[in-house]
Amino acid sequence: MIHELRILPPLAIARFGSAPTPMDNYDAVVEPAKPLGYRRLVPADTLAVDEQTGEITNVFRPATLSFTENGAVRPVAPFLELWALVGDEQLTDGGRLEALTTTLLEEEGAAADDLRWQVQVANLKVMRRTGAADDAVHADTGEFSDHARHALAGECANFVAGRTIGFDHVQFIRPNAEHRQIRLRFTPGAGRVYGPTRSPFPNAPSPDPNVSEVVYDAQRGGWEGYSDAGGPGDTAPGEIYAGRRVGGSQVSSGYLDDGCDGVVRVSLQLGGRTLQALGRVGAGPPAYVPDALPIRTVADELEQALFGPAVDAADATYERVEEIVRRAFETIRLLNTVAHNEDWGWAGGAPFMASSLVDPVAVENLHQSLLVALRSGTAPWFGEVLRDHDAAADRSTLARRRMPAMMRGADGELLTLTRRQVALIRTLAAGPLFEAQEPEA
Amino acid sequence: MRSRITRLLWPVLAEPVPVRPLPDGTPGAETITPARPPLELSGRDYAISLLRLAAEIEHGLMVQYLFAAYSLDPPGAPAAQRPMVRRWQETILGVAKEEMAHLVTVENLLTALGGPLQFNREDFPHDNVLYATGFRLRPLDPPSLATYVVAESPATWTHPLAEQIKAQASDEAGGAVNRVGRLYEELIAVIGDAALVPDSTFDAASMPFQASWDEWSRGHRRGAEGQQAADARPITELVILPVDSREAALTALGEVGEQGEGFDQPADEDASHFERFLAIYEALDGLSEDERKALVRDVATNPTTDLNGPDVGPDPDDETTTSPIANPDARLLAHLFNVRYRKLLVSLAHAFELAEERAGAASPGPRGSLIHRAFGEMYNLRAIAGLVVALPLDHAEPDGASAGPPFQMPHTLMLPHDDDDRWRLHVDLLDASATLADRIAAAGATGAAGEYLTALAQADGIERGQLATLIAAGGQTP
Repeated sequence: MIHELRILPPLAIARFGSAPTPMDNYDAVVEPAKPLGYRRLVPADTLAVDEQTGEITNVFRPATLSFTENGAVRPVAPFLELWALVGDEQLTDGGRLEALTTTLLEEEGAAADDLRWQVQVANLKVMRRTGAADDAVHADTGEFSDHARHALAGECANFVAGRTIGFDHVQFIRPNAEHRQIRLRFTPGAGRVYGPTRSPFPNAPSPDPNVSEVVYDAQRGGWEGYSDAGGPGDTAPGEIYAGRRVGGSQVSSGYLDDGCDGVVRVSLQLGGRTLQALGRVGAGPPAYVPDALPIRTVADELEQALFGPAVDAADATYERVEEIVRRAFETIRLLNTVAHNEDWGWAGGAPFMASSLVDPVAVENLHQSLLVALRSGTAPWFGEVLRDHDAAADRSTLARRRMPAMMRGADGELLTLTRRQVALIRTLAAGPLFEAQEPEA
Repeated sequence: MRSRITRLLWPVLAEPVPVRPLPDGTPGAETITPARPPLELSGRDYAISLLRLAAEIEHGLMVQYLFAAYSLDPPGAPAAQRPMVRRWQETILGVAKEEMAHLVTVENLLTALGGPLQFNREDFPHDNVLYATGFRLRPLDPPSLATYVVAESPATWTHPLAEQIKAQASDEAGGAVNRVGRLYEELIAVIGDAALVPDSTFDAASMPFQASWDEWSRGHRRGAEGQQAADARPITELVILPVDSREAALTALGEVGEQGEGFDQPADEDASHFERFLAIYEALDGLSEDERKALVRDVATNPTTDLNGPDVGPDPDDETTTSPIANPDARLLAHLFNVRYRKLLVSLAHAFELAEERAGAASPGPRGSLIHRAFGEMYNLRAIAGLVVALPLDHAEPDGASAGPPFQMPHTLMLPHDDDDRWRLHVDLLDASATLADRIAAAGATGAAGEYLTALAQADGIERGQLATLIAAGGQTP
């Protein structure tokens, strides 16, 4: 008996792309023989979907990976899978999650067509700044059970009549004899810039070539020409929108993009019961460094939200600490450490580190040294040099040298790891100095 | 004690020296009083001699403390005592790091005075100028700890265990243990005396060659002595001071002395090495012999890769001999340890030969890379030490004493004259390391040792490529 439905993953992040074929699947793996290198991208099983029928036509593993198609970026279009809680009613007490298939539905006397989907996404970035509800951009598929593509047309009261932003589309994958699993696919927007009816650059010889379409009615809404007020309602940091400097203020150009996030709902009537599930989707820019991970990710935030800032000793493993150090190592090549070391307009112009220490290759080598030593099973010794979460705004010389260094958090202050990441490293550091000394038990 | 050092030590030890012994062998009444500076030496030369001696001592203490810390065995201790033993381990490692900083500051002083740098140190079984019976690598126990307490002590101190500690240290050393602080007091007296060391001696232009706290502190605190980190580990404070004048030299000597070796009353006694060691001694003293043994791994005393030397003994607990590492797996790792130890010292010495390229340089020179490499080698030493102490000293006695990191000194620490030859020395050490790593792998290294050697080989390959570029450019930054 199906007790509950779940959408897995509960949060799926799509990545913009204007190419017609979504990106193939791949894994980014650390090669055992080259533990100090960047991750190797390994092609993985990929589902090919027929656009018209919505059926999976092929499962293949590409020989090579290509992130573009005829010069256009291939979007990352995630599948959301529907799973069912079967067995006991509690997941913790004998109940188990099983991928929902047409077979399982048939056993319950239902069919795929009984599933009712609805996807609602929005881009509220302009509304967040102007405070005007009419600046919110919403898209809603309404309920559907078919397998056609359903456009996510972003509508906004302040748009020119009939204009929308394409957040792009969702498609309920049609199960067939070979592929019985229930899935929905979210394909994001192309990653386009949308502009206002009034040119923010009236004296420019030609329109901004980055603007793909004019959608925003600048006579009706106030986004074009908007400036942050400098008050507590501003984002932190403020003024991070496309615009121009006028009299010390950042004046908005009235641009929008096709980034969005929202919810996917599904419901199923089963013998008088209504089963429901909810998942979340979002869309953002492509991963232009796909063989590396940022040192602090949304996954780290979610893990902290789920499990809290403290770490049990059993969870503080060498593999996890190595992963954090590896991400730091991978990030260094994205930084011009010599330039970043110079004045940020803080602390009287003092550099972060001694100038002799910031050669990017040498800094990479240092982090490789950490990875080498950790492989031996010696406890991390660098817990003390990590920046604590409540020291992000400490700009003293010593505080600025803490790790991660030379990077800014979303609040404009110095980046910190999550409290849980810091606890992970410090908990392992407080364990045995040498892992090899650990009793066999 | 070596005669060339003994001569120098007269003023430091402040002992009138008898001209001749009486027929029964006891000292005669006729003595000579040490001169300052000693005969044969100028004031500046005397200061340099004392600084080189200080460098040897700081280096030797650092190595002994590291060995003692590695011998502690929190996982093997009763559960209730594991956090305490782990904390001791971090305390002693912290003191060792601070001794490293002292060594670097002493090298700065030598640089400022135009003296030859000193990265050498006493090696077992030779005598150490501090301990009459010599430098020893041995697991932590009350007698060895007593010598550390006394060596780091102020001139006068009182404590309920003071007499016991002093007596135990003297027994251990076979004579009175000299305070390191006395050496720094003499240095302050000599360098503070413009008649002995004129103002012109201090070379401010040498500053770019000196080590700075900015380069060497690795984020460790300055000015937070004695505090505890949130997880109850002691906070390390590194005293790394550059020297461009007499005033700066006296400040540096004062701070080094105060932090560890303790003048009469350190400003913050909780932070001094003396106090930290004394606290551990007190705790150890309160335990029975069996309880103490449960906290410390049975690491062989003075482990060595030399199986046939004149001071090799069969008993790993014999403090007067070295303990041959008969276990071939452990011995190969011990050789690897020695090679990486040499690479650390070479990197350190080499970094002092390259001036810091101050602000404005488009690309930092190789000095910063050498500093990072030196830290990388410190990490390697810790990693290899962990692998070595997990193995028995003698494979025929798997339940006997453990092997330990030997810290054997290389045949030379002199750097070649030419820039490119200096970089070739680094390649030589990588070659020696690779040969050893191959042999360890061929012997079937698995688990952490196997993973470590794979990573080390890749890191060395990367460094080798960078060294080739430097050598091709004649040793200069291309």
